[in-house]
Order: sequence, then structure tokens, then C-alpha cells
Amino acid sequence: MLYVVLFFLMFSLYLYVVLGGADYGAGIVEMFSSEENQKITKKTIYRVMGPVWEANHIWIIIMIVILWIAFPAYYNILVVHLHIPLTIVLLGVTLRGVAFVFRHYDAIIDNSQKLYDGMFKVSSLVTPIFLGMVFGGLISGEIQLSENINNLTFYEIFVKPWFNVFSVLVGLFFAALCAFLSSVLLIGESEEGKENIYIRKAAIATIVVFVMGLITFIYGYIDNYFFVKNFITDPYAIAAMIISGILLLPLWLTIKKGRRVLSRLFAGLQVFLILLAALISHFPNIIISKNGSVSLLDQIAPDSVINVLGVSLIIGGAVILPGLFHLLKSFKMIKILEQNKNPSA
Amino acid sequence: MENLDAARLQMAFTLIFHIVFACIGMVMPFFMVVSHYKWLKTKDQIYLTLTKAWQKGVAIFFVTGAVSGTALSFELGLLWPEFMKHAGPIIGMPFSLEGAAFFVEAIALGFYLYGWNKLPEKFHWFTGVIIGLSGVASGILVVAANGWMNSPSGFDYIDGQFLNIDPVQAMLNPAWFTQALHMTLAAFTATGFAVAGIHAFQIFKGRRVALHTKAFKIALTFGAIAAILQPISGDISAKDIAERQPVKLAAMEAHYNTEKGVPLYIGGIVNAETQEVKYKIAIPGMLSFLAFGDFNAEVKGLNDFPEDERPNVPIVHYAFQTMVGIGGVLMLAGLLYFVSLKKKKWLKSNKYWILFVLLAPLGFIALEAGWIVTEVGRQPWIIHKIMRTKDAVTPMPGIVFSFYTYIVVYLTLSVAVTWLMIRQIKVLNAQK
Repeated sequence: MLYVVLFFLMFSLYLYVVLGGADYGAGIVEMFSSEENQKITKKTIYRVMGPVWEANHIWIIIMIVILWIAFPAYYNILVVHLHIPLTIVLLGVTLRGVAFVFRHYDAIIDNSQKLYDGMFKVSSLVTPIFLGMVFGGLISGEIQLSENINNLTFYEIFVKPWFNVFSVLVGLFFAALCAFLSSVLLIGESEEGKENIYIRKAAIATIVVFVMGLITFIYGYIDNYFFVKNFITDPYAIAAMIISGILLLPLWLTIKKGRRVLSRLFAGLQVFLILLAALISHFPNIIISKNGSVSLLDQIAPDSVINVLGVSLIIGGAVILPGLFHLLKSFKMIKILEQNKNPSA
Repeated sequence: MENLDAARLQMAFTLIFHIVFACIGMVMPFFMVVSHYKWLKTKDQIYLTLTKAWQKGVAIFFVTGAVSGTALSFELGLLWPEFMKHAGPIIGMPFSLEGAAFFVEAIALGFYLYGWNKLPEKFHWFTGVIIGLSGVASGILVVAANGWMNSPSGFDYIDGQFLNIDPVQAMLNPAWFTQALHMTLAAFTATGFAVAGIHAFQIFKGRRVALHTKAFKIALTFGAIAAILQPISGDISAKDIAERQPVKLAAMEAHYNTEKGVPLYIGGIVNAETQEVKYKIAIPGMLSFLAFGDFNAEVKGLNDFPEDERPNVPIVHYAFQTMVGIGGVLMLAGLLYFVSLKKKKWLKSNKYWILFVLLAPLGFIALEAGWIVTEVGRQPWIIHKIMRTKDAVTPMPGIVFSFYTYIVVYLTLSVAVTWLMIRQIKVLNAQK
């Protein structure tokens, strides 16, 4: 049953990164667009994300709940040492969700739209950066795991784990990844003749992702980060990264040919491989620290808990996944062109 | 401010807001589907307009409820890591099921909001019903987790260790049913009266009276039925608490010395130093009767419990009085509403509408007061008789800063949501 639970944890993480990531990315893409394109993007985002964005963000709740039920000791370290960036992520999630609804549901369209748009764009960028900093913090080696943390300063215990060059680089890398996913998604959803906006965005995002990834690795290598060292000596991780790079080719071919669904599958697969590479290089040690590491499998909840959780997840998954699939199919995959209609109608 | 106090205030504050958003998001779908049903049956355009107006309300409150709920799911761990480390695995069951219910709700909401003229009529309506049902299921499951904190079960506590964990038994703890019943009825009462009050105000102002009257009736029918049933649930809860958490009952009634035939105090000002309650109305034997069904039964007083195991008596007492007082008023208002359905000329009177405008906020005040009774009344324990709140708090100093940040964000959010609603109504009234 433990493997069922682990599967759902990884599954939720992956879906959150892909679906939630594309969702955050939409705001980033909008932010880095010309004024005219922002308007087009705003409309497209509403049409594409509107029905599904809430569902996209529930994956993070599923993840957190699985973590605290099945891996309480691990969760404990996460919430104590990364309290600050997690709080910022929460504020970002809150403001972003509210801004999204406000800008599409406000009955009167006036200057307040500017405020909502601003809130939406800024929180769309800041939230994934801090989320990435949380991921970075876990593998940065800066989390203090020794018993004797009382003689350390506030900065060393609660700030340094996430506020260091490496973690910030991971944060920026993650935000770029979100923008990449979103651009690929938006290509297929754009109005007739506007695809080029997003093809250009996707190209830029691909380059940014690559460059950020490279900088993160080079910095990590020079500064002797355990994570990077493990990564580059792990043949499976390297292989996954190489395949992910090679996949850029079919990705761009399918984009050029206008094969929307296929191009998304390739982009999703690339992100899957990146996550897989990061995970297998240090699994099951999910927190890497200079004074030891914490495995996800340390101090797991008792069997009785894991079994019940596993069964609940299987049942929940059986109920939710078909519904979710149907929702995605109904609204996302089928291009519904209602360009001239009022978006809030 | 002490870290513990800051953490408690932040938790209280975020819960107070979340409860309002969540209740409205949970109950309004029911109003919406009733109106939608009437539209399908009668093809009266007003019902369609109303359904679409309410659907925007549902969407806005669902999101605010969802994001504040996401924040809470993290805050449990961020503020109370020691609690979650031990309690997480035990009470994970209702939370994981709640996650599933919430997911179903989000999917159904996606279908409903964007399904107009795209989905088959009946299926589309049915997705609305699913929104409501899964919302209520979520509410019940979360309350079940809270119930566990009041009546921990499903494990053996040996030498500071939680052993032989049974998540199902933990979920179905002795308090889950009474608390969930009371809360569900409270949510319907509070939302019903609040929504009806808003429409009553529009009727009083003479704006689109036909539409707002239909809205008023749908909302208040739910609110009134729940308000009339609530005292029964309250009675079940009182008897349950008398048995399980006698110290909480004693604090609710500011009852200090163990006696037989204890009177029920209505109102009164508590002096915790002298253990006196002044300016109260006392109904002889009534507390004994309400707690144990016998006017002569012995009710344990606060002095029977060690001083460091008692909650803050004045807060619990005033909150309890507020809740019960408002509950009584709303029950009478609910009866009055059903009478008014027979007396058509009342509906022509401004006084009738003003009355319901004034009643609008009361349900939520009672609901918050009720949660203050439950939560402050459980102190100093985070897990009743097992773990103290002060032992669960995060070691990270400076929580007071995140507390202030949350205050600013949530207050702004509340003002913004209210403003948004006013604008919705304005546009609705201007439509022809």
C-alpha cells in the first residue's frame, strides 16, 4: 500500500507541476506580452483556464494531505524550516485566485480591472518562484537537521535554507518552466491567426528554461552542492535529462505542424523527465542537508494509516479522474471559438 | 505578543474568515439549483436571471473559500507542526476524503459554470446539485476532524506515544455527528438569513421586486427550516458536551461550584476573580435539565478542575450566550416567515422587510460565536487531555508578523468581495 500512496504523491506532484504550472505560466506569459497581446491572452486564459483552474490547484492540497498523513516527520521539517516561503506561496495562491475571479466576474468593467490584472500577473510570477525556492531549499543542503539548532540564529534556521543563490536559481528555473508549459498550451488555444504570439513565447521560454537550468547546475557544481554532484553521477538522471532535451525536436515539429495535443504531450513528457531525473538522483532522500539527509521513507505513519489512505486514494482517484478527464476533454481539448462573445456571459 | 498568542490569533482569524466564505460557498449552490429547477419547470425568465446571478456569487465564494481553505491546510502545519506530526496520520482520513469531495466540487463547478447551452439541460442542472452535495460533504468531514480534537479517539496513548492508530475510528469520533449536524444547520441558517436579508433590502428599496421576492423566498425557506431545527441539534450537543467535556459546559455557563439542580444563566457579566456572575437571569434547575434531562442532576463546576485545565471563562460564556440568544431570535423569525406566507399583506409592509434586513448578519455572528465556544472552550488543549496548545506551536519566532500580514490580506479580501457583490447587485437591478 505504501507504493500506492507514493504513487499518488508523485502523481499529484507531477500533475500540480504540469497543470498548476501551466496555470501560473499563463499569468507570466501575459505579463511579458505587449499591451495588445495582453488583452488577447487574458481572453484566451479565461476561456482555457476558466473551467479547470480550480481543479488544477487542488493537486497541491492532495500532496500536502498525503505528506502529513503518511510522512509526518518529513512534513514537520518542511513546515518548520520553510515556513516563510510557504507562507508567501499561500499569500500568492490566495491573491492570484481572487484576482482571477475578480477580473472575470466583476459585473462592472472599469479601471479596477487594471488592479486585478496587476495582482494576477505579479502573483502568477512570484508564487512559482517561491514554490521553486521551496523545492530548491529541500535539496540545497542548507536545512539544519542537527539536534542542536538552539545555538543557531534565526537567519540560519529559517531563512538561509531557501534564501540562497542555489534555491533562488531553482525558483527562477521553475517559473520559466511554468511559462514554457503555458506557452505550449496556449499555442493550440489561441484565436485564429494569433498562434505566432505563443510560438514566439514558447521559443523564448524554452531558451530561458535551458539557460536557467544550466546556470543552476554550473553554480551548484562550482559550489559543490550535494544534489548536483549526485545528479551528474547518476546515469539514469543524466539519461532522463538527455531524452528530455532530445524531445525538443519532436515538440517543435508538432508545434510547426499545428498538432496541438501531441505537442502538449511532448511538453508534459519533458517536464516528467526533468522531475524524474531530479527525484531518482536522490530518492528517497527528499531533504538533503549538510548534516545528513531525510528520507521520505523515514518514520512513515503506521501500516493501519497507510492502508486506509491507500484505499481512500484509490477510491477517490476512481471517482475523480474520470470526471476530471471528462472536464478537460469537454472544455480544454475542444477549441470553443466564441471570440466575439462577452467572456463573462 | 507571545508567539503562542500570535499563532492562536492567526489561526482564529483565518478560520473566522474561512468559515464565512466556506459556508456561503457550501449553501448558496442549493439556492442556485432550486432557482434553476424552477426555471426549467416554469421557463419564467426571472428564475434564469436569478440562477445566473447566484451562480456568480457561488463562483466568487467558492474561490475565496477554496483559497482560504488551501491557506488553512498549510497553516495547520505551519503554525502547529507538533500537533500535525502526531495528529496528521490519525485524522488524515477525513482530510483526504475532504480533498476528494472538494475535487468533485471543483469539477462539478467547472461543468456548471461553463456548461450553459453546451451540456444537456438535465445533466447541467445535476452538476449544480453535485456542487451542493460535495460542498456539504466537505464541511462535514472537516468538522469531523475538529471533532477529533474535542474527543480524541482511534488510538492508544501510551507513554507519550500514539499507538494502534485506527483512522476510521478517529474520523467517527464521538463528537463528529453532533458537531457536524449543528454546523450544517448553522451554515444553512446563517447563509439563508444573510442572502434573504440582502434581497429584502432590495425589495425595501423597491428595486426589481418580483426577482428579489423570489430570491428572498428560496433563501429564507432553507434558512428558516434550519433555524427551526437548530435548537434540537443544540440540545443534543449540550448533552454530549456535558458528558465528554464537562469543563467546557461549565465555562459556557460560568458555573463554578459543583451543585445539584443548577440554574441556567441568561446573560450576565462574569467576574473570573470573584467567580461571580452579575446581572443575569437565572432559570432554576434548567442547566441540570438541559445537560442531563433531570432538573436535579449534578453539574460539575469549574472548581472541580485544575486551574491550568480551564478555558477562558468570560469569553466562552459570552460567546455561548450570543449564540443561543441569536439562535432563539432566528428560530422565531423562521416561524414568522412561514406564517407570513399565509398573510400576504405583511409582504406589503416595509417593517417586514426591514426586520429581515436587520436579521441578515445575525446568523453568521451566532455561527462565529459557536466556533469560539468550541475552540476557546477546548483550551488549553489542542487535543483534549492529550496535547496542550502551547506544546504544539511552531518553534519559529516572529509569527506576529505573519499574523499582521494575514489580517491585512483577509480584511482587504473581505472588503473587496463585499464591494464585488454590491456591484453584481447593481448591475442585476439595472438589467431589464
